[in-house]
Amino acid sequence: MADRAQTNGFSIIGKPLAMADAVSKVTGIGKYADDLSVPGMLIGKILHSPYPHARIRSIDTSRAEALNGVKAVATGQDAPNPYGILPIGHDERVFAVDKARYIGDNVAAVAATTAEIAEQALDLLRVDYERLPAWFDPEESMKAESDWIHEERAHNIEKEYHHVFGDPDQGFAQADFVAEERYYAGEVNHAAMEPHSTLAIWEPHERLTVHSSTQVPFYLHRTIAEVCEMPMSQIRVIKPLIGSGFGGKSEIIPLEIAACVLAKKSRKPVKITYTREEVFLAHRGRPITIVYLKVGITRAGKIAAVQARVVQDGGAYCGYGPVTVLYSGALLGAIYDIANVRYDGFRVLTNKPACGAMRGHGTVNVRFAFESILDQLSHQAGLDPLEVRRRNLLKAPCITANSLRVTSYGLPECIEKVFERSNWKGKKGKLPYGKGIGVACSHYVSGAANPIVRSNMPHTTVYIKIDRDSAVTVYTGASEIGQGSDTMQIQIAAEVLGVCTERIKLVGADTELTPVDLGSYSSRVTFMAGNACLNAAKDMRDQLFAAVAKKLGCSPSDLVAKNDRVSHVSDPAKSVSFDEAVAIALEFHGALVGRGTYAPPEAARGGKFRGAGVGPSPAYSYSAQVAEVTVDPETGHLHVDKVVAAHDCGKALNPLTVEGQIEGSVYMGFGQALQEDMIWKDGRLMNPSLLEYRIPGTKENPDIESIIVESVDPEGPFGAKEAGEGSLAATIPAIANAVYDAVGVRINSVPITPEKILEALRAKEKALATSKPPPEKSSAPGMAR
Amino acid sequence: MSLPAFRVLQPRTVDEACRMLAEHGAEAMVIAGGTDVIPNLQMKLFAPHVLVDIKLLRELSQIEFSPRGGLRIGATASLTHVLETPWLAEEFPVLSSAVATIAGPLQRNMGTIGGNLCLETRCRWYNQSYFWRQSLGGCLKKEGDVCHVAPGGKFCWAAWSGDSAPAFLALEAEIEIASVSGARRVPLRDFYKNDGKDRISLTRNELLTSVHVPARMAGRRGVYHKLRVRDSIDYPLAGVAVAMEVDASGICRDARVALSAVNPAPLLVRGAGEMLVGQKWSRELAERVAHAAIQTGKPLTTSASTPIYRRDIVRVFTRRALEEVWKNGQASS
Amino acid sequence: MNKGIVHLRINGEEREIAIAPNRLLLDALREDLGLTGSKRGCDDSSCGCCAVLINGVPMLSCVALAASYENCDITTVEGLGGPSDLDPVQEGYAEMGGAQCGYCTPGFMIATKALLDRNPNPTMEEIREALSGNLCRCTGYMQIYESVKYALEKRRAISAAAASGVRAPVVR
Ligand SMILES: Cc1cc2nc3c(=O)[nH]c(=O)nc-3n(C[C@H](O)[C@H](O)[C@H](O)COP(=O)(O)OP(=O)(O)OC[C@H]3O[C@@H](n4cnc5c(N)ncnc54)[C@H](O)[C@@H]3O)c2cc1C
Ligand code: FES
Ligand code: FES
Repeated sequence: MADRAQTNGFSIIGKPLAMADAVSKVTGIGKYADDLSVPGMLIGKILHSPYPHARIRSIDTSRAEALNGVKAVATGQDAPNPYGILPIGHDERVFAVDKARYIGDNVAAVAATTAEIAEQALDLLRVDYERLPAWFDPEESMKAESDWIHEERAHNIEKEYHHVFGDPDQGFAQADFVAEERYYAGEVNHAAMEPHSTLAIWEPHERLTVHSSTQVPFYLHRTIAEVCEMPMSQIRVIKPLIGSGFGGKSEIIPLEIAACVLAKKSRKPVKITYTREEVFLAHRGRPITIVYLKVGITRAGKIAAVQARVVQDGGAYCGYGPVTVLYSGALLGAIYDIANVRYDGFRVLTNKPACGAMRGHGTVNVRFAFESILDQLSHQAGLDPLEVRRRNLLKAPCITANSLRVTSYGLPECIEKVFERSNWKGKKGKLPYGKGIGVACSHYVSGAANPIVRSNMPHTTVYIKIDRDSAVTVYTGASEIGQGSDTMQIQIAAEVLGVCTERIKLVGADTELTPVDLGSYSSRVTFMAGNACLNAAKDMRDQLFAAVAKKLGCSPSDLVAKNDRVSHVSDPAKSVSFDEAVAIALEFHGALVGRGTYAPPEAARGGKFRGAGVGPSPAYSYSAQVAEVTVDPETGHLHVDKVVAAHDCGKALNPLTVEGQIEGSVYMGFGQALQEDMIWKDGRLMNPSLLEYRIPGTKENPDIESIIVESVDPEGPFGAKEAGEGSLAATIPAIANAVYDAVGVRINSVPITPEKILEALRAKEKALATSKPPPEKSSAPGMAR
Repeated sequence: MSLPAFRVLQPRTVDEACRMLAEHGAEAMVIAGGTDVIPNLQMKLFAPHVLVDIKLLRELSQIEFSPRGGLRIGATASLTHVLETPWLAEEFPVLSSAVATIAGPLQRNMGTIGGNLCLETRCRWYNQSYFWRQSLGGCLKKEGDVCHVAPGGKFCWAAWSGDSAPAFLALEAEIEIASVSGARRVPLRDFYKNDGKDRISLTRNELLTSVHVPARMAGRRGVYHKLRVRDSIDYPLAGVAVAMEVDASGICRDARVALSAVNPAPLLVRGAGEMLVGQKWSRELAERVAHAAIQTGKPLTTSASTPIYRRDIVRVFTRRALEEVWKNGQASS
Repeated sequence: MNKGIVHLRINGEEREIAIAPNRLLLDALREDLGLTGSKRGCDDSSCGCCAVLINGVPMLSCVALAASYENCDITTVEGLGGPSDLDPVQEGYAEMGGAQCGYCTPGFMIATKALLDRNPNPTMEEIREALSGNLCRCTGYMQIYESVKYALEKRRAISAAAASGVRAPVVR
């Protein structure tokens, strides 16, 4: 429950406000992509590859085309242009042209008058495949000498990065305690409740209007143009309500392009909605990650050196892969004051669905490893693990070893808050066998300081328009996906213009109506669109003040906007209503448009080494969490009783939504920690459903206490930073560390299943019985380099 | 995932239902709550031409008890109805505790006792979409001739995954089956064939109409323990039901232990009754019964959890269930 | 497939639709009746996004064949209340953060409404249990519980006010 911060004299900022679109959501009026339909709309269905790796010799579409009701059949030949979210990774095609690279890869699609006919038509497509050897295990795949998944990616390595900061060898030499472990994290999917859906409408004048469940409408816009070979000016992308994304809608998803290709081919509106199984096959989730981690600390608990080798199982296409593996390196050590870091990161291709960005992009699995090993070392050194974290704090403002600029740093306060609220002192080391408590920290970016496609254009632009009705309309490209970004911008505009939120209307994410925003990913929206909106509102306010000052015979700097009035600071007689101010300003200026942009400052853009572009952010959020668990030593059953989570979001513009983001992050971390796992057998996903891929429900979900910490960032809008992702990564290691506290075993692999706990307990028992000293760790593999 | 084409017939009486089933035979399939049938039809696991929808058979929706006839639950009584019949929880705790673990409340509002007793067996290689199964070439149970659980074998190991059946087995339930040729009553234990492909002794023209528990079972202590990953909604990965009569001196007078989700049928643990009757609680005895349970339970990799773990759990749950109803029940009585 | 006429009482209105026997209630609502408030989130009836009240009982419309519920009373999210006459449950989910992306929300509100109609004073355990057939990926459930509590307070205030003949106060 809430620990809400003060509102410090703001009218709207800092108040817990219901979301602007809440009423349309709770009445069912709001439309998500699949809720849309237009007359004459066709239903599209996609044919997926049954093989993990196969050359496509030929496709016979004739029987499908002949079926009554089928209006278009499309294959790779219809849209051969490659695309991908990163400029360095254009390796996808909407339908495979040469070979299929995973079970579920897209081979062809049909558009028909009904879903039944479309499904029947899929059955009539005849594809002649030549099966190829396939790669499923990333560490095996890296050794491949032939049959590479993409010919140009030797040994199936998509990208590798090798970074050294400080002098790790010397650091280890100075360490009193060194631990070396292998960590494994299974693959997880965003499992947003809304399956992806796209409606593409072919319009007169060769235009295309696309309504799609996307977090990145402007990248989609560009990609449609590239693949469909149409000018961007002929395409309009509209983002309807989104049933959340968590990164799963932050790349171009095959159905989006497939719907456009079919619409163009049939000259009709075409809608494609994924089944839940297709959502899992389109995937883009968090990759299987193997972390070989070595950390050394001094007797005093100071981290002396860190060395990590990270292998990520990227699946069959590049996607955001290089960014993921770079985030893993960049954020590994930068949360603490660590001088010596060596990082070797490998993004590997396998014949499985492509991985991508998922909440806490790149940080989650390495954080699990790092915070676990730090706990282990603390125990080895005989130190309280929470105290060890206190001893390794940065002194902000500062620049980290890997050139990240830290402007505000609420981690110390987060740690103290969870220390108090969890009664750490009263519990750590004092709970009975089977009960445990654990701590961990995490951090995250508030947007990337460097855009995916390098340019000097702003990352986001906001326009504010006021006309004779005195309504304030915010035109923003930012994508509301359920996180509350529309509400955030409405609050900012209302605060600056001194009007009530009811006066503000917002038009969002429509490439025809709104300026560009890069999208809802890497927690960039509050910081970037928030700042752009702030700038636009200030620009508008300046225009109002200039006109009103003239009328009232004072200086613009004497004016304040508050409570729907523009008034002289010290002379209450000089005051006009907002409506009057608008009329005055329209007479004075003619048109009233406020403009605001945001681009991160040069100083925030990071170092110059290869790969330095990923990690830098204008500001970082921080979290500390304490988890309390109960373990049944006889069954291995793990129950998380409570998670106390403190998060430094700079300034909570809306505490209600910030708490919602913290709690949602903890929930998702809990899911990955205990029960979410994509189970693969020879490249085949064994659990592509919400029944078998078990996202948590109300019964097992822990109690979550969220605490907001406000470090007030100097550059954030009203001091705000990110809140939507950073908390997730701390939850998993906090739970793992609590399991150790409860029953004395370390589980270095997530999800932490009862089987794994039981196995570890038995191994420990066995070791004790043979009277060897109890092993603190399960295994210590070599650091293969 | 569209549904195959079928007609829906809605009989108003059991006789009418039986006539419809007789007429459409192999073409027809019974649908009650539909919580098993509909997802399976969407996956194209069957393609019946006719669905005989028995929701409106009010005569089958009752739950009643008489000292002579014992407990009778009509096949179309919903799982929620069972849970919300307060005296059932007192008199037949093993049943209520089992039903409470089935799916989630929304499924229980629709799902019926009859449907739960006739559930299709489940397997991770079978309960998959049409596309998924095609990509594999099917399995022994459907569209193929290979068992992916036990390759080389000619037997289907799809697991019985209903939760109420073990409770009913522990209560020595009988079921009533109707068809145009009349009604028959069979012990529930004879209903299950322990074959993943051919799970129950029910022909396509027969209808399960009710389940009966003898009056003497009323008041019997009992509990159901279920292994699952997600407490909110999850089929069982293993389930243990215990029902026991204990006299005033703490001696077991009668007892049954039954398992779910570790075989193609819900099964009574062989020899458990004999081991328990006439004995007083001891942990050592409970362990022996638990050991017997893992002789009966033969889990294979049909679900997310490993067979080894599920066996471990069957053992622990059996002992704990006995402890709960016998030793701890002792303390409270 | 031959279509047949099916009569349903939806949100208090008599409706007739011509549908095939294999039409699911969810599809009938969304596609034949334009009531897109009820959502589809899964392929195997495990998420609760499609929940509606059938004769007052919360059920999964993705499991229900529309024709099997001939003449039944069906309440969807659209029937709970409109923008100017929100049900206390809708108000709760709007005010307390129970709806983030809102996709699971119709199903949660249906389950909540059914709970409060039957049990005006649920314990925390009863709330968890009643909502355990619905999955939400956004909220972590804490604000959903707050939303339910808001709704039940509001309902209490309304019935207290009705009993004393004055208008309901705003809870917040
Ligand atoms: C998400 C989800 C989770 C679930 N979890 C569980 C669980 O944890 N435990 C569990 O036990 N079940 C579970 N189920 C399955 C199901 O909800 C219940 O078993 C329910 O009781 C089935 O009843 P029904 O009336 O819906 O069956 P239906 O789907 O209508 O029928 C099931 C089968 O029984 C046959 N049948 C039904 N009634 C009769 C009859 N009277 N005579 C002859 N044949 C009949 C049908 O032809 C069909 O083969 C789950 C289902 C879902 C969708
Ligand atoms: S759509 Fe998921 S339960 Fe109905
Ligand atoms: S609010 Fe998004 S799934 Fe619940």
